[in-house]
Formats: sequence, C-alpha cells, structure tokens
Amino acid sequence: MKYTTSTKTLLAIGMTLMLAVFTNAQKQAPPQGTAPKPFTVPAHENYSLPNGTKVTLVPYGNLPKVTVSAVVSAGNLNEPAELTGLADLMGTLMKEGTKTRSSKQIAEESANMGGSLDVNVGPDESDVGTDVLSEFAPKAIALVADVTRNPLFPESELARIKNDMIRQVTIQRSVPQSIALERFRKLLYGQHPYGTVFATEDSINKSTLADIKKYYETNFGAQRTHLYVAGRFNTAAVKKAISASFGTWAKGPAPAPDVPQVKPNHTLDLTDRPGAAQSTLYVGLPVPNATSEDNVLLTVTNALLGGSFGSRITSNIREQKGYTYSPSSQISRRYHDSYWVEIADVTTAHTGDSLKEIFGEIDRLQKEAPPEAELKGIQNFLSGNFILQNSSRQALIGQLRFVNLQGLGDSWLSTYVQKVNAVTPKDVQRIATEYIKPEQMTIVVVGDKAKISDQLAPYMTGNSQTH
Amino acid sequence: MSFARNLARSVFALATVVSLGVCAIAQEKKPAAKMSGEAGATAFQVPVEYYKLPNGLRVVLSQDHTAPTVCVAVYYRIGFRIEPKDRTGFAHLFEHMMFQGSQNLGKMEFIKLVQQNGGTLNGSTRFDFTNYFEILPSNKLETALWAEADRMNGLAVTEENLKNQQGVVGNEVKVNVLNRPYGAFPWLQMPQYANTNWYNAHNFYGDLKDIEAATIPDVQSFFKTFYAPNNAALAIVGDFETAQAKQWIEKYFAGIKASQLPPAPDLSEPKQEKEKRVKETDALAKRPAIAIAYHMPERNTPEYYAMGLISQILVEGDDSLLYQELVQKRGVTAGVNGGINYLGNMFNYKGPMLWMMDLRYDNATNPDTIVQAVDGAMEPLRTRPVDKATLDRAMVKLRSSLYDSIGQFSGFGLADLLASFALFDDDPARVNSLVGQFEKVTPELIQKTAQEYLRPENRTVLIREPKAAEAPAAAPAPKQ
Repeated sequence: MKYTTSTKTLLAIGMTLMLAVFTNAQKQAPPQGTAPKPFTVPAHENYSLPNGTKVTLVPYGNLPKVTVSAVVSAGNLNEPAELTGLADLMGTLMKEGTKTRSSKQIAEESANMGGSLDVNVGPDESDVGTDVLSEFAPKAIALVADVTRNPLFPESELARIKNDMIRQVTIQRSVPQSIALERFRKLLYGQHPYGTVFATEDSINKSTLADIKKYYETNFGAQRTHLYVAGRFNTAAVKKAISASFGTWAKGPAPAPDVPQVKPNHTLDLTDRPGAAQSTLYVGLPVPNATSEDNVLLTVTNALLGGSFGSRITSNIREQKGYTYSPSSQISRRYHDSYWVEIADVTTAHTGDSLKEIFGEIDRLQKEAPPEAELKGIQNFLSGNFILQNSSRQALIGQLRFVNLQGLGDSWLSTYVQKVNAVTPKDVQRIATEYIKPEQMTIVVVGDKAKISDQLAPYMTGNSQTH
Repeated sequence: MSFARNLARSVFALATVVSLGVCAIAQEKKPAAKMSGEAGATAFQVPVEYYKLPNGLRVVLSQDHTAPTVCVAVYYRIGFRIEPKDRTGFAHLFEHMMFQGSQNLGKMEFIKLVQQNGGTLNGSTRFDFTNYFEILPSNKLETALWAEADRMNGLAVTEENLKNQQGVVGNEVKVNVLNRPYGAFPWLQMPQYANTNWYNAHNFYGDLKDIEAATIPDVQSFFKTFYAPNNAALAIVGDFETAQAKQWIEKYFAGIKASQLPPAPDLSEPKQEKEKRVKETDALAKRPAIAIAYHMPERNTPEYYAMGLISQILVEGDDSLLYQELVQKRGVTAGVNGGINYLGNMFNYKGPMLWMMDLRYDNATNPDTIVQAVDGAMEPLRTRPVDKATLDRAMVKLRSSLYDSIGQFSGFGLADLLASFALFDDDPARVNSLVGQFEKVTPELIQKTAQEYLRPENRTVLIREPKAAEAPAAAPAPKQ
C-alpha cells in the first residue's frame, strides 16, 4: 500500500517534532466544565387494578415509540426440580398462539405496529412485551394482554420447540463462559433452582404439555403481574386499554419466592478444555443482598475494585499486564440474593498470575483505604452513569423493575446518588474486608488443564475438583 | 436461563476498547424532535446543524434537552478495509492506541477523565471508519471536547504501551474468535470469501503475527496519515447550547493542522457470476451453522433502499418470510439472524457490502435443504410484485427500527448516523429524509431488485461444521 512507504519518512520527522513539543510544553489540565445540572428520575405513575395487577406508566422522551412490558413473578425459580427449563419451554410456546390468534397473527400484528412480541424467562420473573410506534400503544397493550392471559399452548408445536431448546443448550454448553457460569452457580447454590443455569436434554424431553400448562396455571395471574408502559403515549387511551385487557383477569396465585440460604463454598473447580486458547475465570462469593444497608456501599466498592474500566483489577491485569481483554467484576442480584464475582478470560500462560493479581488487589484494598481522589472519581462515575441508567424507555423499566422486585420502595431511586456520594474511604475498606474475602471464594477455571494445573496449585483447596 | 438468540449481532463491534460490564446503561434516548402529535410519526425530525472548520473538520450538532447528558463522537474515515497490506488488523490495534496517551493525557488518563466526570466511553473499528465516543453529564461537554482535540493533535505512545495493547488485542482475538465455538462466524469470515478485492476480503482482526509485528513508527505513520481533522467528523448530540459548543469547538479543534490525505484506494468488487460454497470446520462447535450472503446494490441507489425493505420482509421479525419458513414451518432452527452490514447497520458504511443471513441447525439436517428453503421463501419476491400489506408492514418495521437507531444509547445512535452521513455523504441532514427515500420504493422495484441481487450466482454459502470430538480445541480451521 502506498501510504506506508510514502509516509514513513514523514513520520520520522513528525515524531521528532512531536516529542520535542511534548517534552517542552507544560501539560495542560483538562477544563473542569460548568456547574452540574440537577437530575431527577423521570416521574412515573403507579396504580393497581382491582384484581391486583400493578401498573406503572412512565411518559418519556421525544421519539414516537412506546415499550409495553408485562412482568410476571414467575421464573425458573418456580420450576419443579426435575423439570429445569420448563419455564423456558412455556415462554416459547406462549408465542405459538392464543385462543383467538395464531402464531402468525401475533407476529404480523406486532410487526404492523413496528415491533415484535417477545417473551423472556429469567430466574425470578418472566416478561411478555413489545416496543412499537407510539400511535399503537393501546393495541400493543391488548396484544400483550392476550398472549399473557390466553396462551393456547398447541401440542403441535411442542416437539419442534423442544428440539430447538436442546440445540440451544447444547450450543451454550460449548461456550467456555457458559461452562464457567454453570459451574460457579452449581457450587454456590447446589440444588436450589439458582444452581441450574441451563436445562438438560433429559429435563427438556421429560417435560410434557401437561407440565407446561400446570406451570402456567400455578404461576400466572393478575396479582403476580406488573405492567410497565414507557415512552410517548396517550395516557387516557393507555389506561383504558389496560383496564379493558388486564382488568378482567382472575386474581390468580400469590407470588412464591424462594430465597436460597447460601454459604460461601471455598473451592477451586477446574474444567479441562484441552487446547483452550485462554482460561476463563469466575472468582466470587455470596454478598449481602439488595435490601442490605450495605448495598450501595457494595456497589461503590465493586466499581472501584473491578467494576469499571478504570478500576484496580482492570487497570492491573489488562492495562498493566495485558493478560486479558475484558475483565470485570459485578454484583449479580436475584430476589434477595446476591454474589460478587470477577470474570475474566486470561492468557493460558498467565492463569495463575491473573489470580495472584486479582487477590492481590483485594488484599491491598483490605489493608489500606483508597485515596479520597480515587473514591471521588468512582462516585462521580456512578452518579453520572445513574443518569444514563434512567434515560431511556428500556432503562427506566429496568430500574423500576429492579426496585419493585427487591421491594426497595420509591425513595431508593431518589436517594441513590446521595448515598453513593456519602461513602467514605474507610467504608470501602470495611466492605472489602467484611465481604470480599478471598479465603471464602469459589474459584472456577475453564481451561487447558495440562498447561495450568501447576499454576493453580497454590489455590487448590481440600475439596478441589477437576472435570 | 438465557439463550443468546442473536449471537452474530452481539459480536457487533470489532473493537470495543472499553467494556463497562457493570452498568445497565441506557439503550435509548430521544432527540429533541418536532412531532405533530402522536399520530404524526412520519413527521418526526431531528435538528441538524452542519458546518466545517477551515482545517476541514466536519461538525454536526443536534440538540436534545430530554436528559442532562451529551454524547461527543469523533469519527475518522479510516476503516479496517484500507489498513496496510503487511499489517492486517492494524486499524483495530491502532484504535486501542488512541487510549494510550496524548499530549496532555497519559496512559489511562483519558479513560479516567471521562469516568471520573461521570461518563462512559468506547471506540470501535468498522469497515469504513474508526470511532471514539463518550457520553457525559452535559456540564462536562467542554472537558470531552478538550480531550478529543488533545488526541487528534498527537499521540504520545511508548513501546511499553504498544506491547501491552498487543497483548490485550491478542486476548481480544482469543476471546472473540479462537476460544469460542462459531468464532468469527460469519461476521469476520464471510467478507473474506464473498469478496475478491483485498481491501474487502482480508482478515480485519488481523493475523496475530502481523499484530505482534507492529512498531511505534507504524503507529505514528498511521496517525499522521489518517488522524487529521480533514479526515474526521465531530458529532455532538444532547443537552448543550449551540453558540457555546461552537466556541469550544473553535478553541480546541481549529488549531489542529490538516494533512495531505493519500488517494482513496479502489474498493470496487467485480460482479459475482457464480455461486461460491465454502465449508469450514469448528473443533469447538457441537452443531453446524450456515450463512448465506449476497452482494448489495450500491449505497444510496433506489435498489439499495429496496434492499432495506427486502431485508425487513425476509429476515426482520417473527413475521418475516425466512422465520416463517425455517423456524415455524420446517423447524430447522430457533431463530434466523440477518441484515445489511453485520458490523453496524445499513447506513454506516461506504463501499461494497453484503446482505447476509445465518442460523444454526442440527447435524441430521442436510444444508442443501436449507438453501433450497431459502430460495423457496425468496421466490415470491422475485416472481411477482409484493402485495401492499407486506410492503406497508416492511415500511412500518423499517421506520420503527430507524427510530431505534436514532434513539440508541443516549444520543450515540444519532451521533453515529450524523457522523457517518457527514463523512460519507457530506450531508448529515439526510437523516431526516431517509423515510422518504424508502417510501419511494415500489413493488416493481422490489421485484426487480430481488431478481438482480437475490440470485444464486450473486451469493456465497458458508457452512461451519463441527469437527470430530477428539480434535484439539482450535477454531476456526482454514478455508477449503
């Protein structure tokens, strides 16, 4: 290519000049910016229908679109132990028709509104929703209600859907990050439903149409449902559509939460993938859940330790050492249940080094409170990102769902930034010492055993396992 | 339990320097728009102000006061297509270097500056541009402009930083390609088979040996050649005051010198006259996968807009012809991915492009039956003008997805369109006339376009097959 040769000469000169400039000039400080503008979470309206359906309306934005999402307190948590994946089968089958609409009609009607009808199943909750052009908000609510309330569960489609799901879980189990997640959850939660991430071929095959219908009857109903509407919409028309379509639903079953009693499980668990180009790490332990007094403190500590790009672990193993591309720590939350985990795909030859650095950073934070300036940077980061977390239809629904699932109350969002900024360096040190304890951590490694066994030897425990 | 239903789409950007794993960041934000009531959706417009600095920098401003945030995006017209021939993967490696130090900001300081001011940031390398953006509380606009100008002004990277980022990029390739099933399928592999011109057909992520061979002079050379104001666009979307923003842009960017840009290389692809079929093996995959790609009509032609609607009809949503045929009717797969430009969208590129679809299927399924089914599903488009209901539905879906693009990620989606249209078309205001271009498409044009472009001779079929279980883990295998 021409420019490489023609510019290489220029470059030598350019570099010299630039170096000269850089060494002679005083470094400028970045401009500070102007005074911050106040931010309040966009207002929303909460109400309930007589049958117990909860409703939240969030007028937001300028784009002519609206998101409608019916969130039902029914997830994998509510599956019978031997039928893992039953909720997912049910969710997929919900799209296959209602008492008055075929699957094709559902697809075409939602497409005619500029959206698609989606059903998602999670550990604690499922949702039926669509995202459409604003003018169709009332019709979208009616469609979402029909799929939520009146699924046909046609037997004719079940074999196909089972086969699809077997293909999907087979593929998932060939992905190293999925294998690591599955091992980590199993070691932390054992027989509790949170301990199972993917269904098995056996559990899928065993599930019958009767099981699916029974799951639906046991877990779906008005008092388990919270409808969210966010975006631009005509409020009166939307309220009318909600009453007409969700208001006549039976009250249904009460929510059935099942909070696991989790204890730390200190072990090293190695899954052998011969020839693997990297080692996938999951390193973590249970921490206090979202209702804890220390919840926001944990969020701040996590962001400083490994949960942001400028965090200590990321700076260390990525930007100083180059062991990995996308390391990050997180607090993973379910209903009144949380764990902290550092996740990284690291160079095989530096698997042991990576663990050493991760634990080294935790140790450093336990021994010494972080400098004020470093903490202030993290607090600013979280305060600024809070605006982004509340500045879109889907993000607002996500925040409100989280607050409602955990039962944190409306004031949680309005006091979050204030709480973040009240955290002191000593608090961070205390949280790291009290909760982020390397000696209690579950260490999951998926990688090439022949190449990493020796590196992992210092982290072996009495109950270590290799697969 | 969660299934990744759109794996191909989730490997969206080649680069993503910064991954902010923790925050459930906004996906959407609304530009300040004129909308004549809720039914007047077609009248939806975004404000666009466009001008150039004397040094050639293209500047696009779009105000939106919905939230107190601002997105600053700098796009350089250097994509991976035209990187040096002996340095595959260099455009992307270079993108990492833009975070490694400039005149006034040392290593990590750019990232920390943005984060400590409450913002988030990223960069990525695509076919025809490399972009850098940050989204910040709106009172930090000046800070962001200063920092972007600082690195446009010059890099101060060291051997040590380069070595470090070679390690990071090596790990990026491993995690995204080498250590996973279906690595590089089909987003990285397909252009290499479907195209014949080296610029379009080389490995954009790069050979690891090329990446490791890169030197500091390479970095400086690349910077001097392509990272100049006359090869860049600056888009600002969000909560700002225009006069103030212009003043800061003048203050920080006007003094940066323009460069002599090399002549643009010839990116054209010869017309494909014969179907290509390629098989790869994958030691990590348990099930086969297939991708089919067709060369697109030239960007911004009537046929191009027709292909946008054809894509909606064929593969977007559960109502689409391919979903109905392959998922609902035949049970071949649980979902079909597809669209124009797997590393972006149908607007943010300039050059030859593919329309592509891909899916995973079972070992017992003969891939020929899938190809036949795809042909069967496309046949009505080729043999008769599409009916009005189908075309109307495609138009609604397209309009809805365009608004999603505009609203994506707190102004970034709109900034992406504005910067792309400034760089490629010198006309960012065309964001407001796109719907009209699609509305001109007739059923006859759909048929003509389908006949001309959805021909077997114009396509490449790529099949990724699982390798026998005992093989060592190393994907993907070389071409056959």
